[in-house]
Amino acid sequence: MALPLSYSWRSLLARGSRTAFTVAVIALVVIATTLFWSLIGSLKRTLVSSGSPHNLIVMRKGATNDGSSQLSLDAYQTIRFFEGIAKDPAGNPLVSPEIVVQPFFHTTSGTRENVLVRGIEAPALLVHDEVTIGEGRMIHPSSGEAVVGRIVAQRYKGASLGSDLRFGNANWKVVGILDANGSSFESEVWVDARELASNAKRPFPYSGFRVRVADGADMDALARRIGDDPRWALEATREIDYYKQLSSTANTLYIIVAGLAVLAGIGAMFGATNSMYAAVQARTSEIGTLRALGFSRGAILGAFLAESVMTAAFAFVIGAAISWLLAIAISAAMGGIGFASQTFTTNVVVLRVAPQDLLMPLGLAILIGVFGGLAPAAAAARLRPVEALRKA
Amino acid sequence: MKYLPLVWRNLGRNPLRSVLTAAAIALAIALVCILRTMPAGLDAILASAAANTRISTHNEAGIVYSMPYSYLAKVRAVPGVVAAISWNWFGGALDLTKGVEFPNFAVDPDGFAEVYADWGLEPKVLEDFRKYRDAALVARQTLEKHRWKVGDVITLQSTVFPVTLSFRIVGANPNQGGALYFQREYLEQALAGAGVQFDTTGMIWSRVDDPERVAPVMRQIDEMFRNSEAITSTETEKSFIGNFFGGLKQLVTIIQIVAALVTLCIVFIAANTASMSIRERVGEIAILKAIGFRRQTIFSTLLAEAGLLALVAGIIGAVAAFGMLKALQLYATGAGPQLGPLTAFAVSNAILVQAIFIAFFIGILSGWVPALGASRRSVAQTLREVF
Amino acid sequence: MIDLVNVSRLYHRGADEIHALERVSLHVERQRFVALMGPSGSGKSTLLNVLAGLDRPNSGEVTVAGKRLNEMSEDQLAAFRAHTVGFVFQFFNLIPVLNGVENVELPLLLTNLGKAERRQRAETALRIVGLADRGDHRPRELSGGEQQRVAIARSIVTDAELIVADEPTGDLDAKNAEEILSLLQTLRRDFAKTVVIVTHDPRAEKWVDEVIHLDKGVLLEKRPGGAARGAAGAAG
Repeated sequence: MALPLSYSWRSLLARGSRTAFTVAVIALVVIATTLFWSLIGSLKRTLVSSGSPHNLIVMRKGATNDGSSQLSLDAYQTIRFFEGIAKDPAGNPLVSPEIVVQPFFHTTSGTRENVLVRGIEAPALLVHDEVTIGEGRMIHPSSGEAVVGRIVAQRYKGASLGSDLRFGNANWKVVGILDANGSSFESEVWVDARELASNAKRPFPYSGFRVRVADGADMDALARRIGDDPRWALEATREIDYYKQLSSTANTLYIIVAGLAVLAGIGAMFGATNSMYAAVQARTSEIGTLRALGFSRGAILGAFLAESVMTAAFAFVIGAAISWLLAIAISAAMGGIGFASQTFTTNVVVLRVAPQDLLMPLGLAILIGVFGGLAPAAAAARLRPVEALRKA
Repeated sequence: MKYLPLVWRNLGRNPLRSVLTAAAIALAIALVCILRTMPAGLDAILASAAANTRISTHNEAGIVYSMPYSYLAKVRAVPGVVAAISWNWFGGALDLTKGVEFPNFAVDPDGFAEVYADWGLEPKVLEDFRKYRDAALVARQTLEKHRWKVGDVITLQSTVFPVTLSFRIVGANPNQGGALYFQREYLEQALAGAGVQFDTTGMIWSRVDDPERVAPVMRQIDEMFRNSEAITSTETEKSFIGNFFGGLKQLVTIIQIVAALVTLCIVFIAANTASMSIRERVGEIAILKAIGFRRQTIFSTLLAEAGLLALVAGIIGAVAAFGMLKALQLYATGAGPQLGPLTAFAVSNAILVQAIFIAFFIGILSGWVPALGASRRSVAQTLREVF
Repeated sequence: MIDLVNVSRLYHRGADEIHALERVSLHVERQRFVALMGPSGSGKSTLLNVLAGLDRPNSGEVTVAGKRLNEMSEDQLAAFRAHTVGFVFQFFNLIPVLNGVENVELPLLLTNLGKAERRQRAETALRIVGLADRGDHRPRELSGGEQQRVAIARSIVTDAELIVADEPTGDLDAKNAEEILSLLQTLRRDFAKTVVIVTHDPRAEKWVDEVIHLDKGVLLEKRPGGAARGAAGAAG
């Protein structure tokens, strides 16, 4: 016969301050772990969401990112007419030629950061279908105008709608704000490609282009055709794969954080074990009575283990809630968090605790509860009724 | 202190509890040490750049906006400039799938020795650097990481230029960022072969003769190019590095928040134990007071118990951190570009010692309230309640 | 030795007001062995606490060994207890993590004596109570009676004039109780101590010089105990 859960629950409440301390310890570990884990999670989500499943990215062979690539005009002119490429209603191929430059920008707090400025042409919004104009309008070509990602508008001086944004030793008028579902495009500034190439004195007008593949067309075949063409040394990759590769460098961070979390978790576990042992000691006569009444060793073990797991679970809930609030507070106070990227630009990540970020901390909390309570619960179960009652 | 044996014995009252508490505190201290070493790597880089008179000149718009190579001669002519060299990012990768693992640059060998005089490079090394067209100076930490020696030949494929170059390692340099330097002309020739003209430079590094003259020299350089096609911005090396890693400041803040949370955690662990162990002894403490021990003494010995336990735990944690940091350095450096120098995990004795003091003070802090309460309890009341 | 004049003590337990002592006046001569007796809640323990300097009365005067206790601060009372009073309680007398000798030494930590001298005095005290060879044992290795004897040794190690004991035989069997009471009487006789005990045990009457009865905080009667009668009988 097992002991009811309410026994475990009430025992926890009876020694309120000891339970509170233990909950605090585990909750703090949960918060610390969740913050770090969510930070990386937010980074990955930002990067991964930047890729569209319909698109290919074409760059010079050997370039690892579109900031370090260059490509000739005739390559663009030729490839855009390849089979399998989607077309707009007027019959123009949906190929977006782009040039990437990383000028200095200054944040509102005075730090200097490299920002990814993307020179684009008319098809850009059609090809990057996840990106929309949230406020204002799209740029007119050759007008010295710029549209900025939502995060850029908040983070840098002169980047708000209607302002004069200065970079590359020139002024650009901000005419619109880009929304991109939290992807890395929200950390970018888009301007006219020719103007940017001229401003940065680039010999090639484009560094690469994005291709929207027609529905039903074979993406991989098209990518191979582009890559195999002997006229130019180009490489075409699915956008999804490209951004996944960029985000994969964050994987090592996951491992480091997981390691640190385990460290913290073991520490919390020792703290929890301590509390549980004290609980067992204080309730020796109670345990003796229960055993005398006929509850088995397994029932005692189960009851104490349940207490430990309940404490950890409760701590997890509190920790998760506080983490969620803390993330909002940090984002409000600091704006986005800047990470360096392969393109040496600042990828601004807004720290958010997403449900999937809580899985690891939950697992950690449960492990703390189970392993922290195991030894004391076993000690309680081992007590012989007569001795326990005598000690009373 | 004659009460020390009593304090020590009291920790042995419940050995399991003392060990568990010490273990928990030790682990948390180890974690705090590891976290605190992350920004230390960044600080080390900044500190190493702090004292010298090296300045950098770049296009005001950004480093990717280059300057005409002809600027170099003009900068060299500025009074107060002892030597100046050009600097171009090569972006070479050993393996394209892994990307650029350490920074690598094409520089002018003439003037390199003077501009980087504070590096203390041996004359023979500098001579080889000038003598061999394909010579390369590689940062010590990069040599160690890839297990290269002087004399080895390595190949880097550029991610920004359409060339691949092989280099002969002629010596080590102390650059904290892991950089490799080679001759500009080597790149220029290779590019000419590929039909690409190369007459720009990304940055110009100069050495000023006198620290007092740094500010005016910087102004003069920028003034010189104010109305040219490429407006320049000149700053000290420290400022340049500080700006380069400026974006990491926010990450550092988050790391500090987490470290503070963990420290708070330690307070709770220690306080829990202190309050448990003191509560059990209420009767005993009353007897001690009856015999004539003053409140002050009781308070101090109880506090010392908490402090001693935390101190020992802190020492163990610092030692454990030392070991773990060594392991992290081997595994984690180069853990992606996102964290840059934060993953240097630079162990410093200062951090370890500070951690031990932090542990001790946390012990005192957490034991304060329970010890105070116990010392203040009225003897008569306690006797009434207990008996 | 002990002079209490109109001492009252009132304390609160939860919402209740307990009048532990109601205008009690008491005089105890030096070198007397006195027992405070009475039913539960009679105030005998409170009275003991007051005359030992452990508790302060709400009103009245307390003079012990020539010192006026009701004017002293907490620290002064602590010093007074350290020099003048030795304590024996029913429970928790000994520190479990210290052995017998170390427990006896404890009050000497409050003096300026050096380590060697402290150890020597402690061993002497243990010899007096007959436990010279058990000094290296921890309390859990000693019987109830042995633990009380160690406590008594501790109470005399500073040469205190006044020994107070609250239910010293409460937890002991008849034989051990007799031994403890005999030992306490020896302290009065051979070491010139004044001994005041609180006890329920009627057998204690035959060992003490004076029995003081209390009930509901009021002193009911004082009469000579067995030891005094024995002496008077021997004299008369």
